[in-house]
Amino acid sequence: MTTVVSVHDLTKTYGTGALAVDAVRHVDLDIDAGEVVLVMGPSGSGKTTLLLMLGAMLRPTSGSVHVDGTDVATARERELPPLRARRFGFVFQDFNLLSALDALENVELACNLAGVTGRVARHRATDLLTRFGLGNRLHFRPDQLSGGEKQRVAIARALANDAPVILADEPTANLDSSHGRDIARVLRKLATEDGRSVVIVSHDQRLKEIADRVLWLEDGQFRELTAMATDPVCEMAVETGDGIHVEHDGAVLWFCSPYCRDEFLAHPARFIIDAEAAAPATEERW
Amino acid sequence: MARRVPVARRALFQDRRRAALATGGVAAALLLVLLLDGIVAGGMRQVTAYLRSSPADVIVSQDSVRTMHMSVSALPPDSVDAVRDVDGVAWAEGLRFASSTITTATGRQLSYVFGYDPAGRLGPERLTAGRVPRPGEALVDEVAAERLGVSVDSKVQVFGQSFVVSGLFDDGTSMINTTTFITTGDYARLRGPSVAYVFAGAESGVSPDVLVDRLATALPETTVQTRGRFVHEEAAIVGDMAADLMQIMSIVGFLIGLAVIGLTLFTLTLAKLREHAVVKALGSRNRRVGVIVLTQAVWSVALALAVATVLALLIGGLVADVAPSLLVAIEPASVIRAGVGALVVGALGSLVPLRRVFKVDPATAFRRAS
Repeated sequence: MTTVVSVHDLTKTYGTGALAVDAVRHVDLDIDAGEVVLVMGPSGSGKTTLLLMLGAMLRPTSGSVHVDGTDVATARERELPPLRARRFGFVFQDFNLLSALDALENVELACNLAGVTGRVARHRATDLLTRFGLGNRLHFRPDQLSGGEKQRVAIARALANDAPVILADEPTANLDSSHGRDIARVLRKLATEDGRSVVIVSHDQRLKEIADRVLWLEDGQFRELTAMATDPVCEMAVETGDGIHVEHDGAVLWFCSPYCRDEFLAHPARFIIDAEAAAPATEERW
Repeated sequence: MARRVPVARRALFQDRRRAALATGGVAAALLLVLLLDGIVAGGMRQVTAYLRSSPADVIVSQDSVRTMHMSVSALPPDSVDAVRDVDGVAWAEGLRFASSTITTATGRQLSYVFGYDPAGRLGPERLTAGRVPRPGEALVDEVAAERLGVSVDSKVQVFGQSFVVSGLFDDGTSMINTTTFITTGDYARLRGPSVAYVFAGAESGVSPDVLVDRLATALPETTVQTRGRFVHEEAAIVGDMAADLMQIMSIVGFLIGLAVIGLTLFTLTLAKLREHAVVKALGSRNRRVGVIVLTQAVWSVALALAVATVLALLIGGLVADVAPSLLVAIEPASVIRAGVGALVVGALGSLVPLRRVFKVDPATAFRRAS
């Protein structure tokens, strides 16, 4: 396997002196072509910071991120935009489509930024949207599309520059389960069929099914993945073990925080208890 | 150049109400500038209408007097013969002139009063009614005649004497005053024998500039100018009189435009800040997002200028019907001046929004939308 992104001893510290906080600490990671890597972890664990550094949008405090022979940590500022435009495709939780442009133009814009213009860009954008089943939505603006359609446009946009690496931040968070599964399948196919590397940061347990590797980031460091469960209130993936939990109807339920636990205890009937989620999840190690 | 997605235009016109308000605001400011400019240009045209239509090549006046407006010129009665005697002069006629008023039973009107030879070349370009005056008669401009409620055969007072209106002519009234013609004999009887100006035509093959030099040498106590130069001086004096007002009002107009463009671009930029971050995250350099803001400024200005020009032309036409003495002349040079000024205003109005988009962090695209 070819390593596309190589991260070594990566650290990001916000603030200085007594106020310094390490968002990411001494992380090492190699991402191969055709691989889907899922990064999970509690809120504030450093997932998005890691993704920003991988995507050449945030400079690390120390360590290196090698992409296509360029070390993002030491690259000059003016080298970063073209690196992003040509080497990465981004998929955002909020879709982040430009509201004034239609679906076709949103994808075409990414082509333009990668240096492809005119009819070639238009054809490429049309092909991508058609591939994702949006051939009849080319001239729909984002406010005329469903959440799942918006995310498919966003994925098409991420592919507009033919990027070898797709970075996805909570790509299923704003979607219902059906559309979420749809997007998960699309991301898997990008790796399997196109040979692209896909890095997903998410709380969504369902994405584990399509990942080649699942990494657990906590306190800025990758930790061994222990048994996981789903918080029935916020539906975040949470560690079992010493975590916050209650027994309910003979099942053990795990929570991300005392707030979710208290909310559950106040009105247990409001939350559908998925027996599978309540039980400890499969053991995953990396 | 291959097509690129017109992000700037799409974003600007996404909210049509906002775009209309912005365009309307800037257009209103530019309209103010264009109309003021048009009124001054129209005033210049009106004031110089008689001179521009004259067949003379050269005009001789009293020493140091270069205009009719705001001037008094007196030349000896034999000046006409002296001019006529100069080599290269084909013809010469004296024009008697004073600023005065003409009055009727119902009103009065500031007027240039010309004493001329009705058989000569210095009368109005075109009569719209009646005939040229005889002794005791006067030609009155039709706009002034309507305002004073007189017509052919009516009576008007000129220099305190009663004259019968023998005919009407056009293009003799401006927003400042009107023009009245009486015979040179009547004028001399009422105001003395001196002439104010001598109008002369050059013989074939003699250029006006050469004739000016010859006349200046032959008549050292006079000022000799080509007709074109005289027209220029006449227009300049009107321009100078209106310059301060024009300058102040233009600055006010451009400041209003600056405020509208600045606010529009600023609010649009703020509303789209996250999208600018997304464009940067996708790999756009600062230069490209800057071009988006500047393009929006150019679009706002160009549209506003087009709207303002069309409105100014329409208003000019309307004014011509409602107030014939007021001429609003929207000249291409005026539109170009307003356009250049508006572009400067657009560039200034873009500065703060540009600063915002340059500073926006692409990582903002990864924060949750509120």
